[in-house]
Amino acid sequence: MNFLNQTLLLLKKDLILEVRRRENLLTMFFFGTLLLFVFHFSFDLVPERVVEMAPGLLWLAFLFTGTLGLAQLFEAERGNHCLEALLLSPMDRGALFLAKTAFNFILMVLVEIVVIPLFWILFNLGSWDIIPHLFLVVLLGTIGFCVLGTLLSAVTLKARARELLLPLVLFPLMIPVILGTIRCMEAILRAGELGDALPWLRLLIGFDVIFLTVGILIFDWVIEV
Amino acid sequence: MAGISTASVKTKGYLGALALISVLLGLYWGLWHAPPDAYQGEVQRIMYLHIPSILTAYLSFFLVFIGSCLYLWKREKRDDILAYSAAEIGVLFTALTIIEGSVWGKPTWGVWWTWDARLTLTAILLLIFAGYLMLRSLTEDENRAASAAAVLGIIGFLDIPLIHMSVYWWRTLHQPPSILRPDKAPWDNVHPAMLTALGINFIGFVLLYFYLLSQRFRLGEINEEIKARLLSRNH
Amino acid sequence: MRLTVRHLAKAYGLLWALKNVGLDLSAGEIVALLGPNGAGKTTFLKLLAGLISPTTGEILLDGSNFSRSAAVQRSTVGFLTPGEHLYEDLTVRENLIFFTSLYGKSRTIPQIDGVLQEVGLHHRSGEYVAALSSGMKCRLSIAKWKLLEPGLLLLDEPYGVLDGSGIDLLETFLKTQSQKGKVVIIASHHVARVLTLCTRAVILHQGGLTFNEARQQPWDSFTRAFGEFLPHGES
Repeated sequence: MNFLNQTLLLLKKDLILEVRRRENLLTMFFFGTLLLFVFHFSFDLVPERVVEMAPGLLWLAFLFTGTLGLAQLFEAERGNHCLEALLLSPMDRGALFLAKTAFNFILMVLVEIVVIPLFWILFNLGSWDIIPHLFLVVLLGTIGFCVLGTLLSAVTLKARARELLLPLVLFPLMIPVILGTIRCMEAILRAGELGDALPWLRLLIGFDVIFLTVGILIFDWVIEV
Repeated sequence: MAGISTASVKTKGYLGALALISVLLGLYWGLWHAPPDAYQGEVQRIMYLHIPSILTAYLSFFLVFIGSCLYLWKREKRDDILAYSAAEIGVLFTALTIIEGSVWGKPTWGVWWTWDARLTLTAILLLIFAGYLMLRSLTEDENRAASAAAVLGIIGFLDIPLIHMSVYWWRTLHQPPSILRPDKAPWDNVHPAMLTALGINFIGFVLLYFYLLSQRFRLGEINEEIKARLLSRNH
Repeated sequence: MRLTVRHLAKAYGLLWALKNVGLDLSAGEIVALLGPNGAGKTTFLKLLAGLISPTTGEILLDGSNFSRSAAVQRSTVGFLTPGEHLYEDLTVRENLIFFTSLYGKSRTIPQIDGVLQEVGLHHRSGEYVAALSSGMKCRLSIAKWKLLEPGLLLLDEPYGVLDGSGIDLLETFLKTQSQKGKVVIIASHHVARVLTLCTRAVILHQGGLTFNEARQQPWDSFTRAFGEFLPHGES
């Protein structure tokens, strides 16, 4: 079975399990929405300041929600030592990496599809035209988060205090993605297009490509029973 | 890096002595001999320490990267020892850099901390080092800890240029230019004595770094030796 | 399928779980792997499966070194532990479809149903694995390996959960594997049962191999060797 088919097989399995167990998606939804409310109370978001702070707040919400998903990423493989079963098989480790990244990506995108319009409504951000452009930038950032997050989720799999350790090692390394996504979002909110922020977009794409490649190549050494 | 471990105590002694002399010489040159800066005055002298220490911190991470790559490839314990020894000494030099930067910042800008590019990047580097060391100590089973840390070391090293770029862009595109230009190295229109001072200090710091590294490495090796002997005794 | 093991040893921290084990198995052998709890049976099986790496020693499958990264080699080794390696929230049939596809040995639904019929699970093919008893889960594992046809099949304590017909089913399957020239290794405490099936018995004690002989009639040497581990008798 070739690499791509293995990836799709593993992804399909994870999606079926998610639909049946409904552990991750619902909690992520509610958590993301809850954060919006918390931000409202914490930051006194008057209309003038909302546009300035929107990118940062949105991305912060996604970061924390995504981290929830990451901690659970290999949960499906824990029962009955199924991870052993996968590693026993002739499966390409890179396919497992890609499948898990894609799975987390799908979950996050589903949450973002709900949270972004919700944010718009709750904070009266005005015209809806720019949402698609904004969404595209968020997608690129989400890819970066999922790629690096899956790698580090696997790296910290056998560590104690894993829920604390994962954000600790992940967040500093996420800085290019955080800065890049937020700067692009700011530009779009301000002017409706990227303009000066184009280099940031290139940085984002570069980040995604580099770590996706590194992940596929290196996952063999990352994941062990 | 085999040279470091097999170097005799004598060689390491020479290295240490050389390091000490260079550092002292550098301190003399920087704190006494070179003239004070035209704009910043005496406080600029701390740059003679600050710049070499940040460079050694980056050198450190490069060694973590090399050690990590070699370990994943050859699975030899000594590459792992190199990696975490470099990380430990690296944390030391990075923390030192931050303190020096802060000490420079107080009289210059009036504050102990500012989110300028250089200080921010150094703080991030410290966090990455800290994460690396924490991952090592929190992972059960020696071999898994070494592999996990090696992967993190490689990912971290590959990410650092990207982090560098993003923080610099962020800070230079959004802050008004200032006379002090904290992100600019002081080579332009610089008195030759200042450059010499910088050079000597740089050599001194690098020597000091390798001296400390060799000692830490030796400690790691002794540790492994003890474990190997206990293991064969149990056989 | 030929399996050769030389100087295989595994240490966890400072303790040896397995010490200097050597074994030579030719095609068609069914090996009884016996020994008290903590003797190292499971460690040995996991090493053979490639789930953990040895501290020293080597494993040769059909003459070539067994490397964890060789996908082709991994597809020839099977590991059966009752209750494990099955997804609880997938149905019986879905589990089989998933694993056969993963191993690149996709089967049609009729073929899968045929095997389910053989193991007596056909009437429950649409149920979640979570709903099955441990005996039925074991039958499902047997079905899985019937479909995947590994060259080397390792079983860790399969007898405990199976009823009479389940045991017959398992033994018929293992005999068929043996007739096809494949190798089977069964770790078990049900000595009498496994002895009637095996062609060779191997005893592990405190990580070391203390007995390794092909089956013969009468097997006095075995009775003697095994008797040393039974202060209170085990049947």
